[in-house]
Amino acid sequence: MIYTEIEFLERTQLDASTLEVWLKEEWLIAQFSDEGRCFTKIDVARVTLISDLQNNMGVNKEGLDVILHLLDQIHSVRRQMSDLLLEIKSKSEKTA
Amino acid sequence: MKNPYEILGVSSTATPEEIKKAYLKLAKKLHPDLNPGDKQAEEKFKEISGANDLLSDPEKRKKFDSGEIDASGAEQRQYKYYRDYAAQGTNNPYNNKSSYEDFAANDDFFAEILRKRAAQQQKSQRSDVSYSLTIDFLDAVLGTTKRLFLPNGVELDVKIPAGVEEGKVLRLRGKGAPAMNGGSSGDALIEIYINSHPLFKRDGDNISYDLPITIKEAVLGAQIKVPIPGGQVVLTVPKRSNTGNILRLKGKGVQREGIPGDVLINLKIMAPTGVEPALEKFLESWQAEADENPRKDIQQ
Repeated sequence: MIYTEIEFLERTQLDASTLEVWLKEEWLIAQFSDEGRCFTKIDVARVTLISDLQNNMGVNKEGLDVILHLLDQIHSVRRQMSDLLLEIKSKSEKTA
Repeated sequence: MKNPYEILGVSSTATPEEIKKAYLKLAKKLHPDLNPGDKQAEEKFKEISGANDLLSDPEKRKKFDSGEIDASGAEQRQYKYYRDYAAQGTNNPYNNKSSYEDFAANDDFFAEILRKRAAQQQKSQRSDVSYSLTIDFLDAVLGTTKRLFLPNGVELDVKIPAGVEEGKVLRLRGKGAPAMNGGSSGDALIEIYINSHPLFKRDGDNISYDLPITIKEAVLGAQIKVPIPGGQVVLTVPKRSNTGNILRLKGKGVQREGIPGDVLINLKIMAPTGVEPALEKFLESWQAEADENPRKDIQQ
């Protein structure tokens, strides 16, 4: 599912100027289509996460930078870990 | 259902500030997105969010304290967490490999796995492109093939299935924008708009229209050539037909595979518009068999 910028703003209830700030901060990363910037479901979920951290947990801008950066690293590590485990499993099955 | 005060670990006399503080402390620890691998975190987080919703609203808290509502009245959030998408992640734009580059670079086995993964990711960085296509009424009913010229210069033959409906989106695999780095392309999504027809009206898979007939044809019956989508057929108008009678041509409507729709023909008697002395003379002397009043339903 791909959302145009307008659909994305509608869905996330984000205002356009906040979106610009978040893109500039690289808290969100837009993709591009013929119709300009576009977003996917992962971006919608990420907006919810950022709002949660900011509004419900009192995290400020500096804190958010740190959290998102660490969180992105955790997810990457988790994926690599799962790839690694799969690879080890398939290798050990071959040798068994 | 657990007691919301116990869930947040506060006493029943806690102030709103104490409740907020207790909730925040737990939320930071239990938010599912801050615990990507902990399946229980989501349940626990729902619990504390529910408890907080209840206790942070003075009205709800009062009702709960007086026993009017129970803890199950608390609202629960229903959406997918960020971690659900981040975990799937072949085309996750937020991927950040800085946390393992150091040890991966010096290990052939690990580097090999990462290279495979990177190749997969490049392939999956593709995008779907949307187009709209307006087609004629009859093409939608009968099905056809249309040639599209895409903005990028590519010609594309699109098979329009018979019975396609307004707003339907056809997906053409691999005809969207090409992926970066030579991976497979995204899909072309084609939304269908349908022009109206001067005669035919469409209702689902049935086609209907008004067929004017003469008084003579109505009274005596007739064989009339009538249009149907994609051709003509000879229609038998039975004797003693009337305005508002509907004749059904089975299977001549929308040519959907399996069960084609029908054509419904709505008869409409037209009196002659020119001077017809013979008809006038006949009607003056005409004595109806039954004394019917066609306006009996609308007259008191």
